[in-house]
Amino acid sequence: MIGNFKHIGIATVAATLLAQGAAHAQDWPSEPVHVFVGFPAGSSPDTIARLVAEPLSQALGQPVVVENKPGAGGVIGVQQMLSQADTGHSFGVTINGPLTTSQRLVPDLSYETASDIAPVALIATSPLALTVPADFPADDAAAFIEEAKANPGDIAYGSVGQGSGAHLTAELFADAAGIELFHIPFQSYAEVTTSMLAGEIDAGFMAPSAALPFVEAGQLKMLGLTSAKPFPQAPDVPVLAGQAGIPDDFRAELWNAFIAPAGTDPAIIERLNTEINTILADEALQQKLLATGWNVAPGTTADLAARIEADTALWGKAIDLVEAKDQ
Amino acid sequence: MTTLEGLAHGLLVALQPSILIYSLLGAVLGTLVGVLPGIGAMAAITLLLPITYHISSEAALVMLAGVYYGAQYGGAVASILLRLPGTPQSAVTTLDGYPMAQQGRAGVALFTSMVSSFAGAMLGILILVVLSGWLAGMATSFGAADYAAMMVMGLVAASTIGNSRPVKSLAMVVVGLIAGCIGTDVNSGVQRLTFGQTQLLDGINLVALAMGLFGVAEVIANIQGADRHGPPSRVSLRQLIPTRDDVRRMVGPILRGTGLGGLFGALPGTGSTISSFLAYGLERRIARKPERFGNGAIEGVAAPESANNSASITAFVPTLTLGIPGDPIMALMLGALVIHGIQPGPTLLTSHPDMFWGLVVSFGIGNLFLLVLNLPLIGIWVSILRIPFRWLYPAIIVFICLGVYSVRGSTFDIFMVGGIGITGYALTRAAFSPALLLLGFVLGPLIETNLRRAMLVSRGDAMIFLERPVACAFVVATVLLLIWPVVKRIIPKR
Repeated sequence: MIGNFKHIGIATVAATLLAQGAAHAQDWPSEPVHVFVGFPAGSSPDTIARLVAEPLSQALGQPVVVENKPGAGGVIGVQQMLSQADTGHSFGVTINGPLTTSQRLVPDLSYETASDIAPVALIATSPLALTVPADFPADDAAAFIEEAKANPGDIAYGSVGQGSGAHLTAELFADAAGIELFHIPFQSYAEVTTSMLAGEIDAGFMAPSAALPFVEAGQLKMLGLTSAKPFPQAPDVPVLAGQAGIPDDFRAELWNAFIAPAGTDPAIIERLNTEINTILADEALQQKLLATGWNVAPGTTADLAARIEADTALWGKAIDLVEAKDQ
Repeated sequence: MTTLEGLAHGLLVALQPSILIYSLLGAVLGTLVGVLPGIGAMAAITLLLPITYHISSEAALVMLAGVYYGAQYGGAVASILLRLPGTPQSAVTTLDGYPMAQQGRAGVALFTSMVSSFAGAMLGILILVVLSGWLAGMATSFGAADYAAMMVMGLVAASTIGNSRPVKSLAMVVVGLIAGCIGTDVNSGVQRLTFGQTQLLDGINLVALAMGLFGVAEVIANIQGADRHGPPSRVSLRQLIPTRDDVRRMVGPILRGTGLGGLFGALPGTGSTISSFLAYGLERRIARKPERFGNGAIEGVAAPESANNSASITAFVPTLTLGIPGDPIMALMLGALVIHGIQPGPTLLTSHPDMFWGLVVSFGIGNLFLLVLNLPLIGIWVSILRIPFRWLYPAIIVFICLGVYSVRGSTFDIFMVGGIGITGYALTRAAFSPALLLLGFVLGPLIETNLRRAMLVSRGDAMIFLERPVACAFVVATVLLLIWPVVKRIIPKR
């Protein structure tokens, strides 16, 4: 019996050594790389992860396996990445929420972004578009704000959930414009669209890709974007910043990023950042991402770290606004 | 393009050898995953998604669609033979399909389910072709108040399914409604009944609940040897053929089931599970002898199977004509289109007529193929019963675990299905009807979100339920349903 335990002990030590050895940069990656995504197959974070995973796998010479662990607005995916033992072969692609707002919105969250997550690279960003039905009595943001000022609290807008980017963006916009809007939460952009078409709600901050087909069909109008620069997928739509009293630095973007657990070898993170930036420079990939509603956003790990910090503060302010309203 | 031109054009697209092969491949795969308890269309489509990046968008869509409607055929097989629904959509088929099998009419039950599925799908295609414009308009004019009122009526109408005492039925519906509350509240973001579990923030997984209540519970019951199914015999062709009486009983339920399924399929967010429950509930309501239900009534197989197949076809109406997916699987299919640079939306029909009409024709070809494939297979399916329990049931447990895990890659859900299974077994032993729990679970969240949304839209004025004509009609119908039994007693019998 004792002999058996010894064998198990030796095997465990050997396995641990192997696992640790695998995480060193020189011969990395020595086994398949896993990328955890907190959304189901076919969702936009999943599509982004898969578009990047394929060329990444060629560059690294090892399979890059996308694993969908959907739930809790992407939080489950991050948790799954953190719970893997083989640091150096487990990564994640996530939308901004789990890194910037979940700390405030999910009770008893099992991780701290600052201490548990190592940023690798920003992949792509998307603005939200202030969208209204075609028969709404305003054709630009200024007229919209005027309408809202004339009827405080009367304009009902839909979001994709309490605390979602669409909800918080609308609250930031209302605060910046000095207006009051009425929030009705939904669960998807499809539901927000249907409700707008049915005449139940008057507005919504939508992903441009979700609104565009309806804009082309003449059923919806996009009045302005929340990004700093115009968005290539909807080049005719102006940005909201600087319009009708909205501050010039008004910005609220969604993004997807490649992340690693804290403690991953910095050399591995650097290598991944370089590879991902090379992949993002590919014109064909840029077009594919744009078709799904995302604009590539290459940058260093420090850029991503700065983005996480700035957005945590930005969305934190929005959550404060919502909480103040609820009381 | 007129409808006829479109269909002719679609025929050319769908009959291209490569498209045809992908369509049939999808349909066969769908049947297979449908038969396996727990593993459904969602799992198969998720696995196939990466492949679709490398084939044409038409081929990708007809294949994924084939899996989607093919699974509706397969789902009933295990429901009838083993009282183990292959998919949540066919859970209600166990209520009468399994008693039929026990009475030695497994062949007839399977035949009925296949023919009902085929009829439901074909009539569903007809509805899609003729009424798609009207259905799309309906889908975008339905407001939250209309949904809420309709679902309340559905809950009241279907709450008599299962043969338990009224108090026990009510208890099960309430437990189902409470189970549906688990997770993040849409309106306030508050966590309800999650006990601090991040895994419960999105609620209980429907597949885990259905497979636990029906699948695992049934396996436990069989360990006990409480109700072993009788020794199955070889099914001859003659045993498949329904009697003249069977056929007479089938026609009405198939037509009503198809209509109901067609309507619910086209409404985003409702879909095939609800339509199969309601089709069953409707048949029981209008039956002259409702006590026949639950004891092998052929209507109880024909109605839900035609409804869920019809719904699986008309579900493509909002998806393709509006770009609005009605359920997570439809969202997945739209994701597959987006990868090919096709943005689904109201202009899809005019910008990609090839795809739309090709898909519609492929539905017809795929369903015809499924019927031809499945009828001869009935004998083989029945022979599953000859596999000894000690081999069959462990295998079923493995499939259930695989299927539940495949939905969102969660080991937590596997433990859930185990726990729910034990609960389900206890409930069945105590003569409660788990079908009602599932009904409450499916309808509860829809009623709640839409009711509260309607109240938000009206700024707190409940009159919205009477002012909107559709909502008002459903409210009146619900009241009539509730007072009808009382009226029936007061009016003296002739």
